[in-house]
Amino acid sequence: MAQKKSRPIRTRNGVPLTRDEYRQLKRQKEREDRRKRQEAWEAARGPLDMPFLLLALLLLGIGLIMLLSASFPNAQASSRLGNDPLYFFKRQAVFAALGVGLMLWVSKINYERFRGLARLGLWTSLILLFLVIIPGPKENGRLLAISANGAARWLGVPNTSLTFQPSDVAKLGLIVYFAESISKKREKMKEFKAGFLYHMVILLAMVGMTALEPHFSGAILIAGIGAAMLVVGGIHWGWIAAGVGGVGLASYLLAFTDVIENFFKAINYNASRITVWKDPFGGDLEFRRDAAWQTIQGLYAIGSGGLLGVGLGKSRQKFGYLPEAQNDYIFAVVLEELGLVGGTLIMLLFALLIIRGFWLAIHARDRFGSLLIVGVTTQIALQTFLNIAVVTNLIPATGISLPFFSSGGTALVIQLVEVGIVLSVSRQIPAPKAR
Amino acid sequence: MAQNIKPLPQGGEPSKKAKRKPNSARLAKLIIQRRTLALLLVFGVGTFLALFSKVYSLTITQHNELQDGASSQQMRSTVISASRGSILDRNGVTLAVSASADNVFLDPRAIDKYAGELDKARAQKLVDGLKDGEKLPMSGQEYKDMLAVRLAEILDITEEKVRSEMAKTQYAYAVLKKRVEKDVSDQIRAFISENDTGSALQGVHLEADSKRYYPRASLASHVIGFLDSDNHGAYGLEALYEDELEGTAGLSVTATDGRGSELMFQYEQYYDAQEGHSIQTTIDSNIQYYLERGIADMASQFGAKKGAFGIVMDPNTGAILAIHSTPDYDPNAPREVYTAKLQEQLAQADEENPPEEGSEHSQAYYDLLGDLQNLQWRSKAVNDGYEPGSTFKILTLAMALEEGVADRNSTYYCGGSVTVDGEPISCSNKNGHGSQTLKEAVGHSCNPAFIKMALGVQSAPFYDYLEAFGLFDKTGVDLPGEGRSVFIDREEFCSHDIDLAAYCFGQNFNVTPIQLIAAQAACINGGYLYQPYVVEKELDGDGNVVKQHDSTPVRQVVSEETSAMVRECLEYVVSDGGGKNGQVTGYRIGGKTGTADKRGTKTASNPRGDVVVSFLAVAPADDPQVIMLLGMDTPARQEITGVFTSGGNYVAPTASKIMADILPYLGISPEYDEETQDSAEATVPYVVGMSKDEAAAKLTDYGFSSYRVVGDGDSVTDQTPAGGAIIPAGAEVILYMGAEKSDELCTVPNVVGLSADEANRSLVNAGLIMRATGAAGSGVKVITQSLASGTETAAGTVVTVQMGQMTDIDEGAGIR
Repeated sequence: MAQKKSRPIRTRNGVPLTRDEYRQLKRQKEREDRRKRQEAWEAARGPLDMPFLLLALLLLGIGLIMLLSASFPNAQASSRLGNDPLYFFKRQAVFAALGVGLMLWVSKINYERFRGLARLGLWTSLILLFLVIIPGPKENGRLLAISANGAARWLGVPNTSLTFQPSDVAKLGLIVYFAESISKKREKMKEFKAGFLYHMVILLAMVGMTALEPHFSGAILIAGIGAAMLVVGGIHWGWIAAGVGGVGLASYLLAFTDVIENFFKAINYNASRITVWKDPFGGDLEFRRDAAWQTIQGLYAIGSGGLLGVGLGKSRQKFGYLPEAQNDYIFAVVLEELGLVGGTLIMLLFALLIIRGFWLAIHARDRFGSLLIVGVTTQIALQTFLNIAVVTNLIPATGISLPFFSSGGTALVIQLVEVGIVLSVSRQIPAPKAR
Repeated sequence: MAQNIKPLPQGGEPSKKAKRKPNSARLAKLIIQRRTLALLLVFGVGTFLALFSKVYSLTITQHNELQDGASSQQMRSTVISASRGSILDRNGVTLAVSASADNVFLDPRAIDKYAGELDKARAQKLVDGLKDGEKLPMSGQEYKDMLAVRLAEILDITEEKVRSEMAKTQYAYAVLKKRVEKDVSDQIRAFISENDTGSALQGVHLEADSKRYYPRASLASHVIGFLDSDNHGAYGLEALYEDELEGTAGLSVTATDGRGSELMFQYEQYYDAQEGHSIQTTIDSNIQYYLERGIADMASQFGAKKGAFGIVMDPNTGAILAIHSTPDYDPNAPREVYTAKLQEQLAQADEENPPEEGSEHSQAYYDLLGDLQNLQWRSKAVNDGYEPGSTFKILTLAMALEEGVADRNSTYYCGGSVTVDGEPISCSNKNGHGSQTLKEAVGHSCNPAFIKMALGVQSAPFYDYLEAFGLFDKTGVDLPGEGRSVFIDREEFCSHDIDLAAYCFGQNFNVTPIQLIAAQAACINGGYLYQPYVVEKELDGDGNVVKQHDSTPVRQVVSEETSAMVRECLEYVVSDGGGKNGQVTGYRIGGKTGTADKRGTKTASNPRGDVVVSFLAVAPADDPQVIMLLGMDTPARQEITGVFTSGGNYVAPTASKIMADILPYLGISPEYDEETQDSAEATVPYVVGMSKDEAAAKLTDYGFSSYRVVGDGDSVTDQTPAGGAIIPAGAEVILYMGAEKSDELCTVPNVVGLSADEANRSLVNAGLIMRATGAAGSGVKVITQSLASGTETAAGTVVTVQMGQMTDIDEGAGIR
């Protein structure tokens, strides 16, 4: 055997390669791969977007302080919670710590990896949503769903805190799947079937099942997030125009006619919310003490705040007047204690976070990243707007919590994870070229 | 050249980039960027502008109304009553004072809630079973029952009242009883902390309030007034000086939570109460007492149907020392009918109209009650005008003297009547007084004489004098509801003489007693018109004088000389004229009687009409310190009383009695002459334990010349009257030397109508001592006696007899 002589063992493009040549080529290829991996790794190891991170942490910190202030009277008054004034605060703080940890962990993951999870996430979301609405022999008429406050929205182990809302999971699932799907479709998004219809079917399935729970506010959020991503994703502008027109018409009917009110009455849904929204102080004593109570108390709290507020911790409305002061109505306590000035500053922080979020979306490395951020930021923006709008009676009441503020562990953790996703995307934004 | 120019790629992107990315990807990215920018504007800016404008409108534009709404549900404010200032008399004696008291109230809402909790706990216990020795908790109903029974018992109210208040479960405040005194509120406090529930009572509360006390009851009630149920002045000085007395109420504002518990640490504001100022009046409670007692005696003796009034004033300042009218009331219970006569009237209303089923009294009763309340709250002395009659002649006299149409030497002829403007005007003495001097004419209260004086003055100046005497305006006395006078207007008055003729003896117009006495005071005090007043000083909480009344005369109406002559004439009226009954032993009294038929009151059932009898007294006549106007509206007529209806007969004796009390009290010493020496009074010394000689010497020292010894011991074991008694110096003192004082009672004989000597004899025979007051001289007889005949009393008791002379002179006159 002529060992010494180099002989061709492989061919490349029909050209035989000697062992040396092959080895050289292989080394070259390995170097190339290493370089590529290095590049990708370096991209994922870019700096986090500090403004977005700091805004999120600032809001989280302020939110914790306000939660402490808003929640202690109710916690103290509740013998079920052991009359521990710090109950809500401690719980929220633990979840916040957990959430921040998860956020940092997620921010280190190369978000491109989420592409692989998109399909799994979608199916998981759809199945979980379906599980909630399966009819069954339970008291609430469902097979698995757990009820709280008269709505069957939860899954998990009954009578423990080990429960979660599938709608929360669905939001995340929707964001990731839509981002992945839309980013792949590119200009096909303009087409009816591939762009509009396909996504719309998925979206309507989610919204429909959520609404059936019933979870009206969850459905609105999911619809809003999906719509925003579709708009950004590039569906035909005609659909956008139709959507805006539809929302406009619905708003008109709601505000200036009785059509929607009567429709709600007809389907036996909570039509009094619309009556309350139109004039919370109208109606008889029973109306004001019952249906309109929470709205009125929220307005009293906000109005009491005035320009500078009654002072941090000094809200009086939180003492047994304002229901859910630590939850959906926490911003009423914020406005009462910190006034227009403090409330506006906090709203400004939210606005900056949202603007920064969309700014990051615009500058993301690829479409997938952009769409992920658009989904997450839209969710934060919608929740913030809808929550404050409800508290101030700008729109009819619906139960939407305020991100980073309202008491609620799972929701907070998910929000922080979503912030982590945004941060992850932000790491791969190419540094602006030096001029 | 042209061929060398290549068209730039569409979009102008660097060709390098275009090579690296497919066109579709680039385009998709561009769309995403553009549309994300749109979302940024919508969600990052647009929505926040909307939110900001809404928050702005709530926190700024609607701030006040929303805050009010919030406060009204959060705040429980408690008023801290300022302690109300006192009302004092001129010597600092308290006439009205506030003391703290407590209101007892329920929180029916809390009671109902607690009852529910009790029921729940009880049901739970029934389910769980009782441990050994454990008691079943009380049920909600049992709790309510216990409250009703015990509270009704402590507060002295009915159980039904407690239950009905407790049933108002939508409220948190239901008053059970207002202003309970300390002993009762202490019982409530004890009940709250110690009771069968084993813990503090739920829903029973006390709140601090204050209660007004009028320690002298009805004394000067028309001056003082009273408070309404909210502790605000409703009448009298209490109402007029409400702002000064009330002080500024404090406020305690506490925040409560949604369950109604107080948030002490959260919010509490405390505004101190500002103590009210006290007012010191010019009223002297002793003089007021003398006046009220005199008026009460007089009104009951003569059955004054429409009440009586009296004013005692210092003529040199306008300070009112006492003012009273009947009927009056007790400011401690102003809504109850006070005088017995009116109470009877009220009871009668129920008898005549049986009350309807379910109500306590008949409608007639309530209607009458309202009328009587108004009647007893009114002061005739200030609120109502009257035709003064002859006491007004003092003013006519002063005008005539001032105008020079009359003087000391003027003489007047009275033929029984005089004709003015063709109208005959009769004199009180139909036969005429004949020729008289000025003094005599005043003493006779002779109408023709006064008409002559008035005609001399003439209408226009007369009318000016009326104005100068302040009769057209309210005096401005600081008592509420001062009445107005009624006069015809100047033009009409001046167009003829008949009104002048009527005015000059006090007919055909109306003045209030307070206006009249102010004008009369001006006639005798040197000519100065003072504004009458009752509030001397305003004192702050520390007793510092905040405000002091300034007694400067409004104007001088007549001269000193005129005034001196008027005093002389008035003294003559009492010493020798128609006002003899106004005499007070040892004092120089001036006075003028008045009897005025009220026009338009004659009806078939009342053929003689109503009459007002009055008397004006001034003392001492040479240097007046006190002026008093007493009047009585519609007393019983002669047919019933047996005495001719006139101010001199009906009112002057009482004026004398009151003056006899007031003058020594004011420190004005009596002066006795030979004739009145015996009536000079002295204080019996305490001589028990002394020897007979020592006792005799001491009695002599004290002015007693006669004494009688009973028994034969070495020392005085007892004496009659007891030491300290004030009796006429001429009376006999009995010294018991070892002998037992007879405990047999003496029967008071009837001495009315007897002369002083006869009466004295009769009383001494009965074992009593006589003290005579009032008029002296020939023809003077006992008018009243202080102890009614037939009364049994201890030997040596002093019986005061009022001396007087009943004449049949009717000075009411003229044009009828």
